[in-house]
Amino acid sequence: MDDDDTTGTPLGTEEALAIIADQRAAAARTQPSAPLLFGVWGTAWVLGYGLLWLSVGEDELWAAWAAVVAGLVIVAAMVVTAWHSVTRTHGIRGRSAQQGAMYGWGWFLGFLGQGVTVAALADAGASREVVGLAANAIASLVVGLLYIAGGLMWRATAMYALGAWILLAGAASAFAGIPGSYAVLALAGGGGMLVAALVTRVRDGRSRA
Amino acid sequence: MPDDALDPVIHAPARLRVVATLVGLGGGDRISFPRLRGMLDMTAGNLSTHLRRLEEAGYVTITKTYEGRSPATYVALTPAGRLAFDVYAQRLRELLGSGR
Repeated sequence: MDDDDTTGTPLGTEEALAIIADQRAAAARTQPSAPLLFGVWGTAWVLGYGLLWLSVGEDELWAAWAAVVAGLVIVAAMVVTAWHSVTRTHGIRGRSAQQGAMYGWGWFLGFLGQGVTVAALADAGASREVVGLAANAIASLVVGLLYIAGGLMWRATAMYALGAWILLAGAASAFAGIPGSYAVLALAGGGGMLVAALVTRVRDGRSRA
Repeated sequence: MPDDALDPVIHAPARLRVVATLVGLGGGDRISFPRLRGMLDMTAGNLSTHLRRLEEAGYVTITKTYEGRSPATYVALTPAGRLAFDVYAQRLRELLGSGR
């Protein structure tokens, strides 16, 4: 028989507490990993915006290649995020699945709004520099506010703080001009995400110990 | 059940693992039977037996549904199950003497 409360040795107190700790850790793996996603996006921002920064003022071909590679880096980060989230949350339904879906659509809508706004500014005759500055600052605003929303929803202080930092750094980057704005996003934005990845990684490790 | 006794429905290794896993999910969440089985590394028959016992105690609800054409089973902790686990975990800590 496999009904183990009628057979075998009785369950000890410390053993029971160890089971609880193990299963809590297992249950945590049904949620996307904050350190992994911050790390992926931090790397993507450092590489992507770093390339755009370095390519400004270079010849046209170099700049075009830098833009293509930066785009591919961002697409790769999106694919990793989607794959990781789907794998982790597979088989979970209910409230957190609904929150996750609404949050995911929030990112799509935010960047749809960013893209349309930037296109409209270009259409209204804004210079390449103004379009570039607005694209960077509005992208940072969208990312910052969505990290803040995520911090509220999951009561994740590090995520909230990262959102506030990116939002403010992105707004300030509009004063840095082109190519300075790209440098701010690569170093302060991407760097901030990598710091958040490290902080949440260390904290997760400590709470599991 | 006397005040100082551990809930016998939860205080068995396999069922404790099931309940502790469900507690770790978000409130209002349910988990598919295959995913839960994979997380616990239990056989389907074994897990079914324990889930039935937990369901009889009112600690979990088991929902059978369809996803497309294929049947799917979802497991969720009830508020009574969450409360029973909290009481159980509290008593464990008292027994250990730390009183945290």
